[in-house]
Amino acid sequence: MNRSGLFVGLVTMVVGFTLAVVSRFGGVPVLLLDAVAWLAGFAGLAHDRASAYPYVLLAWYVATVVGVFIVLRACQNLDARRNRGVRLLAHPASRALIALLLVLLLGVLFDADGAFYKVQTHRDGLRQASVFGILACGMTLVIITGGIDLAVGSVLALAAVAFARMSIHWSWSPWLAVPLCLALGAACGGVSGTLAARFKVQPFIATLAMMVFARGLAKTVSGGMKVSTAVQNADGTYRYVEVPDVFRAIDSRLLADNVSMVTVVFLVCAALSWIALARHRWGRELYAIGGNEEAARLSGVLVDRAKVLAYAAAGLLAAVAGICQAAQEQQGDPEAGGGYELSAIAIVVIGGTNLMGGRGGIGLTLIGTLTIGYLEKILSINAVPESRRLMLTGIIIVAAVLTQRRSRT
Amino acid sequence: MHAFRPLSLSVLGAVLVVLPSGCYKPGDAPTPGSRGERAASASSDAGPGETAGRTCTIGMSQCNLNEPWRVQMDADIRAAAEKHPNLKVIFKDAQNDTLKQRAHVEEYVGAKVDLILISPKEAAPLTEPVAKAVDAGIPVIVLDRAVQGDKYTCFIGADNVKIGKAAGRWIARQLGGRGKVVELKGLMTSTPGQDRHAGFRDAIGGTAIEVIFEADMKWLEPNARKEMESALARFDKIDAVYAHNDPGAHGAYLAAQAAGREKEMLFVGIDALPQEGVAYVKRGILSASFEYPTGGAEAIDAALKILAGEEVPKKIVLGSRVFTQENVGRGGEALE
Repeated sequence: MNRSGLFVGLVTMVVGFTLAVVSRFGGVPVLLLDAVAWLAGFAGLAHDRASAYPYVLLAWYVATVVGVFIVLRACQNLDARRNRGVRLLAHPASRALIALLLVLLLGVLFDADGAFYKVQTHRDGLRQASVFGILACGMTLVIITGGIDLAVGSVLALAAVAFARMSIHWSWSPWLAVPLCLALGAACGGVSGTLAARFKVQPFIATLAMMVFARGLAKTVSGGMKVSTAVQNADGTYRYVEVPDVFRAIDSRLLADNVSMVTVVFLVCAALSWIALARHRWGRELYAIGGNEEAARLSGVLVDRAKVLAYAAAGLLAAVAGICQAAQEQQGDPEAGGGYELSAIAIVVIGGTNLMGGRGGIGLTLIGTLTIGYLEKILSINAVPESRRLMLTGIIIVAAVLTQRRSRT
Repeated sequence: MHAFRPLSLSVLGAVLVVLPSGCYKPGDAPTPGSRGERAASASSDAGPGETAGRTCTIGMSQCNLNEPWRVQMDADIRAAAEKHPNLKVIFKDAQNDTLKQRAHVEEYVGAKVDLILISPKEAAPLTEPVAKAVDAGIPVIVLDRAVQGDKYTCFIGADNVKIGKAAGRWIARQLGGRGKVVELKGLMTSTPGQDRHAGFRDAIGGTAIEVIFEADMKWLEPNARKEMESALARFDKIDAVYAHNDPGAHGAYLAAQAAGREKEMLFVGIDALPQEGVAYVKRGILSASFEYPTGGAEAIDAALKILAGEEVPKKIVLGSRVFTQENVGRGGEALE
């Protein structure tokens, strides 16, 4: 595609967007609604004007997205050196932002009777996304080395269970419980990292083993039950203890109730990971390893050490996520975090970090977290049925990744 | 297997003379301190009317142990079986894998256990393995979810539609027949989810109770909290939350509490496990929880009868209880 492609894309995008906004805030011709209702009636999707309306909006939205794609594809074939705009568009961060903006546009079109514009929607959506974001930060470090960590969800559960045991059942001080849980998570990550780096077990297999093992350990520590404020006595009856203060503190809100504590925890984790990755020698080593491991080794990088540290950091961040999860649930659930590793990988990839390693960053992961988080929240406030939610999530993940696709390099 | 060991063989012979139809007589006092083979050898020289028991092995296949309710079912079975020293129960966990569960049944048939308990993951794929076990002369008690056809010995389960109806009626009564309700559904692809939904909708039909927001929370507390936050953002007035399980109701409560709106509405859950629903009601978090009994104790009762050669009903429907703020101290109230 070339300049004519660019033109077609721009027109599709602008027309789609205009129609979407006009339909949303102005209205849709009754004739069109009737036609859509009649057509959708065959599929049993709509039967009157009111139920046809979302499909019209969705159609304009899809047109906008397709337009954006055509523009992005066309830009890939233009000479990036000559045009600053094109160069800007080619940057992964702009691509990630475009995906985020498209998701936010979905929220504007489907605002669920204005719920999308309420502060609490954004606060709660970010709270929900924070645990995934924390996991994704650790996942970014590992993916940049060209590896993967499938164990983060299980390590989350292990840390959640251990933290609940220490805080609720044994009433330990958080100053003891938190560092111990973090150490536990880091140790799990360190073990899978050692397996991957020193024993040359493929990261997929090493962390798969840790994923299964840590889940089993979580179930052992918890005795197969949720570790909650209902504590079983020796005779099988239950007594109830108070929710520990540290749980309430982590699940509290700051800034006049406008920001969840866990969101702050996530931002701190992201900032620390960003400093390590972008400003510290170790971070540069991770990029070097992901780019070309042999070359990194030859230029004096202690590859094994850097890799083990990356997995340990991922385990540590998973433990942070586990502590946040336990505090929000007021219990340690050994089944918590099932499938979270896949969400974390999706966030990293949607942000634009390359799964092959060597390219990407925490900033991208931050945007990816917002994209996935907002998508979930928008589907949730609109009470979209589960079946369609899953299909839409799948489509949108593919769409977001497609915006990330780079030109022939 | 063990039937070929001389001791067991002689024991079996003795038992067969004493009790031609089975191996255990309910009502007999269990011999204290003697378990397993020791109990069996002791009884081999006992005359008629004495404790005539050889060890009966029961194989239990649980479809998964990820849900607290199923952990509780196994615990109930274990507790009931421990009262009978000559019952030995083997527990297996199919980890939500139908084929694994099918293998369990086949393994139990191969090991010639005396009775199989199964809490199936799904009906259709397990119907045939269960039928084959029955054909091989091993009685099978099916728990919670039925298999198809009638090739099983006994089905024990509760009625989710009835429980959903009771929850609907209770909410309607509390709200005076008028109000806005959020329904947090389990998995709508699962039978309990469908039944708890259908019963509830049936009960509120014809009243002015309106379901203003519904979402699948997949039985999980974090999901319930997320969905409830969305409902709270959208609606300024919510009178009640009906969640298909207690963790769901608890998640909804946490969301409402964070929004400072937990006093505005009722929270109703299902399952009433001692450490979950009942605990939440006791602590004033949930307004009510409806018990979904595990049937563990009833399964052991039925197993003993079957092993003694007595007739048991083909289908045993378990009663349910409701726990509310008023009656939780008295241990709840049976539903009619």
